[in-house]
Amino acid sequence: MEREKVPVSNSTFSAATRPEERPGGTGSSARRVIRVILLSLTLTCVWLTVRFPYEAESGLEYLLSGPNRINPQTLHLRGEFVESNLGPAEEPDGGVTVRMIAEQYLFVPQCVVVPTGVPLRVRITSADVVHKLTVSDAGDEVKAVPGYVVETHLRFERAGEYPMPCHEFCGPGHYAMRSKLIAVPPEQFRNLSQQARMNCVSR
Amino acid sequence: MGSDVAEPPVRIPSNVAWTARTIAMASSGDALRGLLIGRRCDRCHGREGFSSSPSVPNLAGMDRLVVWKQLDDFRSGKRSSPVMQPIANSLSLEDSADVAAYYWMMPIAPDPQDDRAFPQSLSDPKHEAVAGRLITAGDGNRGLPPCQACHGPVGFVTGAPSLATQNATYLLEQIEGFASGRRANDINLRMRSIAVQLTDEERHALAEFYGAGLAEPNARPAGR
Repeated sequence: MEREKVPVSNSTFSAATRPEERPGGTGSSARRVIRVILLSLTLTCVWLTVRFPYEAESGLEYLLSGPNRINPQTLHLRGEFVESNLGPAEEPDGGVTVRMIAEQYLFVPQCVVVPTGVPLRVRITSADVVHKLTVSDAGDEVKAVPGYVVETHLRFERAGEYPMPCHEFCGPGHYAMRSKLIAVPPEQFRNLSQQARMNCVSR
Repeated sequence: MGSDVAEPPVRIPSNVAWTARTIAMASSGDALRGLLIGRRCDRCHGREGFSSSPSVPNLAGMDRLVVWKQLDDFRSGKRSSPVMQPIANSLSLEDSADVAAYYWMMPIAPDPQDDRAFPQSLSDPKHEAVAGRLITAGDGNRGLPPCQACHGPVGFVTGAPSLATQNATYLLEQIEGFASGRRANDINLRMRSIAVQLTDEERHALAEFYGAGLAEPNARPAGR
């Protein structure tokens, strides 16, 4: 009786449930995992290419570019470029950080007062298209790219006025897109209010 | 980012950000529904979108994103007006989009039978040249971009209104407001940076130039 049963159960076993088709089998689950990984990789690539959140040059660049990313559409709502945070700010280490927004067709703030002889950290981003801040005497150019915060380090030894025009064509108002830095001795800088440091434009 | 910086109290000029979602919502209004809601705007803004008082803005042909943003700013108190704030408070986001769609499709053609204040004549003929230069060329030495690069017809910036059919008194009030900071709902300090640099003569000249209908009317920004 037992001998007869064995081949019957063997034949049903081999026909209906072969090892690789069993639900808990090692072969099939590994294959499924690989399939899911490949599918999600494909979907990620498609998403990065087609529906990329910020206006950076590519999705991969966005992922690899580190912490200096920012959404150009919401600069005024959150983050370090809200309007109360723009302009020069004194740092605990004695340096000064200047935050600016480049937009069609202005640099905001348009005129910034900075102290001479201290290291300056200029952080700039763009709200719309690519602009290029050019500090005439320092020979320095900073490209302001939407989606990114770009940083440059400057130091002015001489007091005076330093024009900073835009050197990247950005639209019909490009040629009027100019701002300036006014470097003053540190003691004079300390006595100025934040309002005066940001609004040195002449009327 | 910037965690080592002591943050001053954050000032937010407007809750509106021009994300794709906001633009889609603001431009999805139903003009017919807007016509019904807009009946109560008639008394000040005119039956044809042109006001009989020069200190009230004309809304005919106004870009719908502009109307929608201003209504939202009135609602959130980012722009203050004792008249408009209660009215805006009674409108939902969809209502605002409908009203905006209604004014957007109104024609800006002249109508002799309408009691509109627009256009008014210049108070000083010299103003035409002063304003014309600022509108078409700006002033590069002071970093003043030409008005037409954002307000049309040469270029458009999202949220910048067309000014070609706007009332002079209203415009002057807004320029003064931006310059003094009384009105501060422009995103990223755009208008405040510009208005503060204009001299008194330039402010009057610009307001009167637009208010006299001397500026070229805009082709409607496409696709919005």
